[in-house]
Amino acid sequence: MRESVITNCEKKFIIKNLEEHRRLDGRAFDEFRDLSIDFGRDWGCCYVSLGKTRVLAQVSCEIQQPKSSRPSEGILSVNVELNPLGAPHFEPNRQTDLFVILNRILEKCIKDSKAVDLESLCIKVNEKVWAFRVDVNVLNHEGNIIDCASIAALAALAHFRRPDITCDGEDTIIHSYSERDPIHTVIHHYPVCISYAIFNEGDVIVADPTLLEEGVADANLIIGLNGYKEVCGLHLGGKAFLDPDSILRCTTKAAGRANIVIQHIKKVLAEDSEKRNKGIVIGFESALSSSSADINSLEKLSLCLDNWKVQKKDKKESVVVTVESNSETHVDATVESLDESSAVLLPVEENGQQVWNVSSSESDSDVEMIVPQSFKKIKPSSTICID
Amino acid sequence: MNVIDDNNLLMRKVNCKLDILSRPDGSVLLSQGDTVVIAGVYGPIEVKTQKMLINKASVETFYRPKSGTPGIGDRLYESIIQNICETSLVSALYPRSSIVVIIQEMQNYGGIISCAVNACCFALLNSGIDMKFLVASASCALDDKGVFHLDPDKLLSDKAKANFVFVFDNIAKRIIASHTSGSFNLAQYEEALELCKKACDAIFDFYKTKMKNEIANKV
Repeated sequence: MRESVITNCEKKFIIKNLEEHRRLDGRAFDEFRDLSIDFGRDWGCCYVSLGKTRVLAQVSCEIQQPKSSRPSEGILSVNVELNPLGAPHFEPNRQTDLFVILNRILEKCIKDSKAVDLESLCIKVNEKVWAFRVDVNVLNHEGNIIDCASIAALAALAHFRRPDITCDGEDTIIHSYSERDPIHTVIHHYPVCISYAIFNEGDVIVADPTLLEEGVADANLIIGLNGYKEVCGLHLGGKAFLDPDSILRCTTKAAGRANIVIQHIKKVLAEDSEKRNKGIVIGFESALSSSSADINSLEKLSLCLDNWKVQKKDKKESVVVTVESNSETHVDATVESLDESSAVLLPVEENGQQVWNVSSSESDSDVEMIVPQSFKKIKPSSTICID
Repeated sequence: MNVIDDNNLLMRKVNCKLDILSRPDGSVLLSQGDTVVIAGVYGPIEVKTQKMLINKASVETFYRPKSGTPGIGDRLYESIIQNICETSLVSALYPRSSIVVIIQEMQNYGGIISCAVNACCFALLNSGIDMKFLVASASCALDDKGVFHLDPDKLLSDKAKANFVFVFDNIAKRIIASHTSGSFNLAQYEEALELCKKACDAIFDFYKTKMKNEIANKV
């Protein structure tokens, strides 16, 4: 299936909204979507979700002959796979432009920045070294794959344990995980990618673009950064007339975000190792049974729109509008319709008694009422559009 | 999920979560014991000209392992699942289009084929595509002493003398697919068949309760 194109209408709509400092999902321009990291039961397996974008990473290792140019270093390869699950236009084993760009940026960010200590992966110079391979599978493409993939690859590498070995003259014995405690990988620094989408020739720069925003954007800026605010890779794609100052400003902002992400990765890694030490079974199946945060935390907008219903109002009838906001404040009020085009909002007092009365006696109107059904996590501002 | 109250003949815990991905038309995360897969369905969607069939939809299946590129073993799973999908889907309703089923391995601790088939059926149900019947799969292993183990884990199935995987439909309880490895005699095959049939009944019940809950939550 071909990639679905973004219509001119959608483009205009998004750009117009951005000019009014509004994003479709209600985020601020430098706000990122929710990040969650889950580890599987295997070493080096992690499932990362950034908003609705989902990625699965798995590290695997084998013993290989080192490259002749680097006889005492292990081998690391990062491989992003555009799984057909991610989007209908992804085809397996096809080297599309997106595939090449993603792989190269991740390689620059993680491998070329020397995040992993490759010398410790050497077993015998010029003969045997460990070769690590990070497979990143894109499971759901809702924009900003690169951020999600870089976090997944890094978390998987930090989580991975390689089997212990003993060298006995010529022979090398690999001990299984049950025989000996596995060895963890030395990671010098934690580089992650942070991406921005650029609109209107650099006037508008938004962080963590969604699929639609990515499609509309003039250009995208991807910055690889580690916890020490060091840039590990920079990619500016598309056609942007961006002044150097904006890039510097983005980099400063990205450094703050990178720190948050890295702290999060370290926190979940520590939690995971604590659980493993206690012998608690962890894996995706346990994440499944815990009915905590809904895995597909439906973005607020679509949920909100789905729940708007148009109801034909037949008689004078009061409708209770309950707005539940994030901070769990309840606003109860009744809407009393007066006329074909007017209605009055009656607040309900603390003791629950109705103390307000409608002054007009006009009734029996046939007004169409739009009633929001029970929706969760909608900011109060988004309910003003009852019209 | 007890089938018979005997330790060998217990199934591992089955659990699932529907609608976990936003892009596919139907998706599910299914766990059977420690084995976990994600299944997604796109369809009916636009088809490539070389794969277009004028009288029915073309069914494409992908099985993605966690690490590395798909090998011969993964191709085998793909073809098993493709056959099952082709028999269970009413593909004649969607000519000149394609239905894509993707299975992503998340954790493999034995019985991955059964888990993949069950996940695939769930994903098809979730996508709302027309099916002739539901399918469910169960596997069992025969050890050296001639004892059957229902829904074996990785260790058991590696040690087993023979492994059986059966897929049944939910209407006439006919065999849709049977896949065996190792050596056994006819009586043992029939015993394995009966055992898996009972296990599949339990899985059909699970489909029913899960879908009921899902619909009740949406309404």
